[in-house]
Amino acid sequence: MKTINSILSTAIVTVICAWLTTGCTKKLEEDPRANLTPGSYFTSQTDLDAAVAGMYVAIARDGSWGFTSKMTSYFGSDDLTTDPALNKGDMREFDRLVGSSSNGSLPNQWVGPWVGIYNANNIIANYSKVPALDPASIAAKNESAGNAYFIRALSYYYLVRTFGPVPIVLTPVEEVSTSYPRSSVDSVYQAIISDLQKAKTMLTTTKKQGKPNVYAVSAILSDVYLTMAGWPLNKTANYALAAAEADFVIQNGRYDTNTPYDKVFSTNNCSESIFALQYSVGGNLPNRSFGSTSIPLEELALNGNSGWDDFYPEINFFKAAPVCTRTDLTFHTTIKIRNADKVTYTLVPWNSPATHAQHPYYEKFRAGLNGDGVNETANTIIDMQPSTNKETIIIRYPQVLLNYAEASAMAGGGPTTQGYAAINQVRARAGEAPLTPALGQIAFRDAVVFERAYECAGEFGVRWFDIVRLQLLPQVSASRDATENPIPAGTDFSKKYLAPIPLSEFSVNPSWTQNPGY
Amino acid sequence: MKKILLLLLLASCLTQVNAQGQLINGKITDENNRTLSGATIIIKGTSITSSSDESGNFQINTGNQLNPVLVVTHIGYVDEEYPVKGRSNFSVRLQQDTRTLGDVVVVGYGVQRKRDITGASSSVKATEIAKRPLTRLEQALQGTTSGVAVISPNGQPGAGLRVKIRGANSITGSTEPLYVIDGNIGGGSDVNVNDVENIEVLKDAASTAIYGSRGSNGVVLITTKSGAAGKTKIGVGSWFRTDKIQKQLDLMGPYDFARSVNAQFVATGSTAPFTAAQLSDFQSGAVKGTDWQDELHRTALVQNYQVDVSGGSENVKYYLSVGYLNQPGIILNQWFKRTSLRSNIDVKINNRMNLKFLAVATIPQNHNTEYGGGLTDPFNQAVEWDPTSPVRNPVSGKYITNSPYASIQFNPVAQAASQVRDNTGTNISGNAIYTYRIWNDLTFTSSNVYSIGNGFGQSLDGPGTSDYAGSGKGNAQASSNRSRSFLTSNYLTYKHTFGDHAINLTGLFEYQEFQNTNFNATARNLSSYSLGYYNLALGATQSVSSGYSADALVSYMGRLYYTYKDKYTLSASVRRDGSSHLVEKYSTFPSVGLAWNMKKENFLQGSNLFSDLKLRASYGKTGNQAVGAYSTIQRLNLGIDNNNQTNYYYSGGGPGVAGTPSVAVTLGPGVSKLLKWETKATYDLGIDAAFLKGRLTVTIDAYSSKISDLLFNKPASQVNGGGNYQTNIGSVSNKGIELAIGGTPVNTSNFKWTTNFNISHNRNEVTDLGGLDNILQIGGNNTFNSILKVGQPLGEFVGYKFLGTWKSKEAGEAAMFGMKPGDARYVDVNNDKAYTAADYQTLGNATPDYTWGFINDFFYKDFSLSFMFQGRQGAQIYSQTLAYLWGGLGDMKNATTIEAVPENLWTAQNETDNPAWSKTSKNFNGSSRYVYDGSYTKLKNISLSYHLPAKVLSRMRFTNLELYVSGQNLVVITPFKGYDPEVDQQPTGNAISQGQEFGIIPNPKSITVGIRIGL
Repeated sequence: MKTINSILSTAIVTVICAWLTTGCTKKLEEDPRANLTPGSYFTSQTDLDAAVAGMYVAIARDGSWGFTSKMTSYFGSDDLTTDPALNKGDMREFDRLVGSSSNGSLPNQWVGPWVGIYNANNIIANYSKVPALDPASIAAKNESAGNAYFIRALSYYYLVRTFGPVPIVLTPVEEVSTSYPRSSVDSVYQAIISDLQKAKTMLTTTKKQGKPNVYAVSAILSDVYLTMAGWPLNKTANYALAAAEADFVIQNGRYDTNTPYDKVFSTNNCSESIFALQYSVGGNLPNRSFGSTSIPLEELALNGNSGWDDFYPEINFFKAAPVCTRTDLTFHTTIKIRNADKVTYTLVPWNSPATHAQHPYYEKFRAGLNGDGVNETANTIIDMQPSTNKETIIIRYPQVLLNYAEASAMAGGGPTTQGYAAINQVRARAGEAPLTPALGQIAFRDAVVFERAYECAGEFGVRWFDIVRLQLLPQVSASRDATENPIPAGTDFSKKYLAPIPLSEFSVNPSWTQNPGY
Repeated sequence: MKKILLLLLLASCLTQVNAQGQLINGKITDENNRTLSGATIIIKGTSITSSSDESGNFQINTGNQLNPVLVVTHIGYVDEEYPVKGRSNFSVRLQQDTRTLGDVVVVGYGVQRKRDITGASSSVKATEIAKRPLTRLEQALQGTTSGVAVISPNGQPGAGLRVKIRGANSITGSTEPLYVIDGNIGGGSDVNVNDVENIEVLKDAASTAIYGSRGSNGVVLITTKSGAAGKTKIGVGSWFRTDKIQKQLDLMGPYDFARSVNAQFVATGSTAPFTAAQLSDFQSGAVKGTDWQDELHRTALVQNYQVDVSGGSENVKYYLSVGYLNQPGIILNQWFKRTSLRSNIDVKINNRMNLKFLAVATIPQNHNTEYGGGLTDPFNQAVEWDPTSPVRNPVSGKYITNSPYASIQFNPVAQAASQVRDNTGTNISGNAIYTYRIWNDLTFTSSNVYSIGNGFGQSLDGPGTSDYAGSGKGNAQASSNRSRSFLTSNYLTYKHTFGDHAINLTGLFEYQEFQNTNFNATARNLSSYSLGYYNLALGATQSVSSGYSADALVSYMGRLYYTYKDKYTLSASVRRDGSSHLVEKYSTFPSVGLAWNMKKENFLQGSNLFSDLKLRASYGKTGNQAVGAYSTIQRLNLGIDNNNQTNYYYSGGGPGVAGTPSVAVTLGPGVSKLLKWETKATYDLGIDAAFLKGRLTVTIDAYSSKISDLLFNKPASQVNGGGNYQTNIGSVSNKGIELAIGGTPVNTSNFKWTTNFNISHNRNEVTDLGGLDNILQIGGNNTFNSILKVGQPLGEFVGYKFLGTWKSKEAGEAAMFGMKPGDARYVDVNNDKAYTAADYQTLGNATPDYTWGFINDFFYKDFSLSFMFQGRQGAQIYSQTLAYLWGGLGDMKNATTIEAVPENLWTAQNETDNPAWSKTSKNFNGSSRYVYDGSYTKLKNISLSYHLPAKVLSRMRFTNLELYVSGQNLVVITPFKGYDPEVDQQPTGNAISQGQEFGIIPNPKSITVGIRIGL
């Protein structure tokens, strides 16, 4: 018995000890088998394509630029206001010019561009690792990088106009705890121009849905130069550069204004869409800036869905609109109130006391893509959805035409024949008569700014950025209807052109200084 | 270290010493002369043990001791010592005493006499557990143990409890203790509580440092029941319990609500939506509206069954059990069921070898129990929904999906009734504990646990759910998760007594590994919902994902106990842990403790007052492993933010068509490679005293601990990719005092009264934040904010201090804020005439000043009555539930609380502090208006039981039959206005967001009837 004991125990103990001393310490090395890591990525064009697509998802999704919250700080503009009560506090704050850094929707405006930059930096730093020998492979690789340069520049362009000075970070982040200082507005613009010029050398002239080409780069560049000519840099020498970039697109780009105005907002990739973010409801990447978002609360579809009341134009902005077909297609002025029978509708004008907001709404943002937002007839709303497949156009051809008109007039001594032709092309499609000839330089500029306000009413910051670069808040506020959400007396407009750095970001960069007035 | 261990082990196989001892026979009885089985008899200073059989008899060989002393112990009785002095027959009578210092207690990797313990611990026995209809192990700790704050943060069936031992030791890491079940470390708390014999809670570092990098939140050691030699015993128990909600919130009926909405619309410049005719219909009751709370809440019948069989011979003992719990929830359409099986077998291979084999299987099943609280939970929506809306469309019979008033979320009844979330787990573990007595004094133990857990989840968001209504499409999911872990603990224990000296040495090598694999399949837009979640191929689009993670821990530990003259004990231990999670793999955790048994000193030997008196002191270091696997490796992710946005569509999508997908890969958040464990250093001082022959016992402990290198999930700058990254910042301290008093005020032959009271105070304070004064945790205007601030406890609420309303006479000042009389007024700290983040102040904290429990048991003849009060004082709650009821916040358009009826709001004539409806007023979620005192006193349990007299039993051939009726949470005293002050948004751990409450299902009020039968 004793022998058996000894043999048994010796065997057990030996096996255990042998196992312990050999097997386990090396298991302390980590191997994340189910995860991609930067060290093992960028080995093929397929990897690079996925990184570029990832960059677009990051910037296009809800939480970045996929929802109306991307315009939160632009509500100080006259083309945007929101419900006086309800759950619209975030937008209402900025509409009243009392926006704060703790605003819950503001972070989307900050996060969107930064996730674009973060992913673009990863592509720009690593794309050269992808092996490519033949010209086609090299071109493909360069085009991927060109997309990254373009998105990085576009992201910085929105950041610098919205928040002013921001850090310039052009390489992947090595140490996550680093706090980068805010760089001057001027240096941010230099980085934007440098990226766009680089992108131009890497992209093609082919029009591809969802991707930029060289004309998209020039169109953005013309906008960048035009903006730099105004507040705060006031680099008036850039008017000529803006005109030249716009002219390059006009001369070579094969874009036109032949698409009817309403179709621009209810179809994708129309003949004037130069660069747009793409969406797919079925692909779990919906655009929520069309459909329900600009529908009044009172409007209920037959299926019971109701409007979200997020944004609509201010009353006097609507009243000052030129009489033309574009205005008819832009504004929704007949509110369809569903009757108690839940089948029929009563049509009332926008200022009827039967509506709670008594405002006109936007017609052009209702349909989404071919009615996947609001599907309606003249007196019935069949269906209403907040998620649509409609693209968000970042820049379209009429903007290039108007940029050209304004920049060419401001660069020289006044409006030119080509400048008149450009604005009149936009007016013609809008159903307006040609602009009064022989206007002075400033009168012509103001006419272009007015035209842009209605051509691009309610679109992603277009009107707001005109108000910013031309410092128009005093006039815009003065012309507000008394029933709008009130702006406190004594508001210092000069401190309202920039949004505050979101509190969440500010608190992790304690050395930063907040924008004045916040 | 490893080599020495190896040599020792090998040497052990070669040498054996023959014992020449004396054989002793004896019988053990209690004070009433009833035989006691299962008592432990030890030859003092050796590891020679025996136990008494069914008729109380025992036999033991004294071994080679010169002056052998018998030590007789039995759980629940006072230890007795008898010098053998050549006698061969002993008749031992043990004194019953539930809470004395004499017990043998379980410590990590062994047992120890309680009088030699240098650390602080509390224990809970099976007799205490049996008093209440418990469904979770942690419930047994609530109110029964000092220094252990247990709350039941969610009243859903199957929900876990939150256990915090001596305050919060981590900011973002878990604050839950380490559970060790029969040597299975980190096995979690999911054990059938009816199988538990004893729970030992280790609180100070002298006790927990032997668990090293996992010990800093305290350790809960669980020992399950085992069989005793003798006749087979069969126990059958069952109870039935009705659970119902304790109270409902006082909300507006349809008439008040319609008036309130009209007032709001008019005040903000719109037209009143409800007509006079509608109002009068609501008022007269012609149109009833809906009480959403009534529609959703249910009374649940909970059933529990347990059968156990135990017994065995001298060589093989067994305990087998099966348990079944069926627990529906107190809201519509949810339940939890659990089946558990256990087989504990103890085989004495020969005189030197013993093998224990413990096999456990638990099969939990969950149906719709994922409501953790939050805006969209049906339970929360039931208080936010429009009371003028019916549940269903009266014409079509279909659910109303949305309402234009109050909440913009989905119909809560439709959601709760229609969604399906089913999860079934199969968790199996086998634990083989092999002990080999190499010499009389030297024992080798190898404990090996292999566990597998398989989880299978299926869910359906079909017609009637918000997902389906939102997109016109539903989805179904199946997910599978397999976890596997292996633990091997191998240690040598050397116990030796020479003269007045006794030593006990332990050397350990331990290795543990975990592996997790998971797989998930989602089908969207099913062509038919008739098959539920059973056929995912019906989905128009499908997506799959899978994952893997693995980690390992290698540990060495050495421990010494040294006792001199039974008066002085020194303990010392060192553990070294190597973990796969960190770049720097190894960390060391030492401890030292002292105990002084003053009763053994001459000056107390003759004392009639003290029957025992002991002083204890200890110091040690422990860690918290809150760094997850792969935390120091940056990753690329498919898609972004786990939103299933894994593709971009360059050519866009269309109606019913996703479009052409392009796979999207994004760069994940940044990481820090400098991560370390959090380490905690604890000092403890304790006194254990027993008076009047053990009829009164007092234990007092004071402690001070400092946690440094606090792990913090710090928000990264968006410039650096956003998200959060783990980093070590600053330190936090916990200081506290605990008092436990036990007594037997009356003890006559017919009537006995025992009472136990414990109370604990803990002061938690952030002492350093890496040079910063504070770190703000921002949730935005619509959510909850908290702050970490030096000098304050963890997780202080932060926000605006609410001052009521601007009054008419303050119109001028209000105008400077762009406001008017009747608007909400807050403290403008920096006096800039605007409410900005600069005006935030601290508003309260979820850490209580005191937690306490008070238990009384009365025994009269065959009846026993027991009640237990449990409570806490000085904790605040941030109630988002109540905040939203005032409307105008986030997704809540109008008010539903009865307090917001128009006549309660501010008017120029009646200037109340409830803000009037206004375009300019601000209702901040983050304001002191929604901070409440969360103190409470609960009658956790009251039970009356009746034991059938022995005469009747013997005729029925039963050994025991007990009938009982009890009530849980029958009385709740609290100033909190919400459902339940005990609930918390953060079900486990994470001190920073504790104290937040948002639509969490409260703990029910229950009545139980039960029976226990022994055969």
